[in-house]
Amino acid sequence: MDKFEKYIRENSNAFDIHKPNKDKLWANIEAKLEKQDTKPKVIRLWNRTAFKVAASIVLAFGLFTAVNIMTSNSNSKSNYFVSQELEDIDSHYSGLVAYQVKLINNTPKLTNEEKKDFLSFMDDLDAEYEILKEELKKNIDNERVLEAIVINYKKRIELIENLLNQINSSNKTNDEDVYIL
Amino acid sequence: MHTHRELVEKSKLGDRVSQYKLYELYVDAMYNVSMRMMKIKEDAEDVVQDSFIEAFNNMASFRYESTFGSWLKRIVVNKSINQLKKKKIPVVSIEKEMYHIKSDIEDEDTSVLDIKKIIKSIELLPAGYQQIINLYLVEGYDHVEISEILEISTSTSKSQYHRAKKKLIEIIKTL
Repeated sequence: MDKFEKYIRENSNAFDIHKPNKDKLWANIEAKLEKQDTKPKVIRLWNRTAFKVAASIVLAFGLFTAVNIMTSNSNSKSNYFVSQELEDIDSHYSGLVAYQVKLINNTPKLTNEEKKDFLSFMDDLDAEYEILKEELKKNIDNERVLEAIVINYKKRIELIENLLNQINSSNKTNDEDVYIL
Repeated sequence: MHTHRELVEKSKLGDRVSQYKLYELYVDAMYNVSMRMMKIKEDAEDVVQDSFIEAFNNMASFRYESTFGSWLKRIVVNKSINQLKKKKIPVVSIEKEMYHIKSDIEDEDTSVLDIKKIIKSIELLPAGYQQIINLYLVEGYDHVEISEILEISTSTSKSQYHRAKKKLIEIIKTL
């Protein structure tokens, strides 16, 4: 390498004479990265969460059917058997809800306030549900109590669906951390 | 070698803040690399944007075999060359005649050692010569790397470079 070449290489900083429009470029880069993120990853999230909601609906439907059978057969069938079946569904369902609540607590996607709102509503419904269960024990074929339990379940599903919508709408503006959920 | 390792690792996981920090560190240099090759602001901007997007999408393939900066720069250079080819701007000189390459007689001539004149003179070179001068002298690639970038043989890279350099010195002397 001769003097001339060495001189240029040593002074190559002098060639950096242009200033980019940093903010504009980054805005374009970020927009394209977001677009890519929301496509494949969120579909996965949607599928997973949607699956949970679907499972909840199936469970609630199962319960509803059980309640129907129970109410229509309340005289011929053993009350103990029906309430046992109801309890099985309950324990499964409450396990699922507990799992979802844990997931929601762990997701970085939601603000603490959103989490708190959601969980406090869930707690209210839990309390209501406990009261209804006590009622049911006293009078197993009370149709109104059973109906109230179904409504209680429906509310929970509605709540999860709302949360899901919230997560999806916030996805459009932010990040891929969500797919952890 | 492992500068900004933490930023790189977080960016690999898709952390936008770290990606932005890397962007901020390298955007000036990358924009200048692209401007030297593309000449047109809008074209250089497109190349830089696409390069960062490609870099962030392919972070997993960066394994510290070079610095992050030179890895990124190579993406910018390759994208620039591709764009020039698409625009049918010659990336190597099409002149076929062979010069006899004299040993560097300009070696003792310090009048050519004026960076402002040099920058100006590079601008005045034919497009095909500009690229090889930029790649070799300014970007600091060797002839093996240049042969990969421009898809030419290393001997073509060497002869092209020497012709370009000769022409460059001629222009500097006229300024």
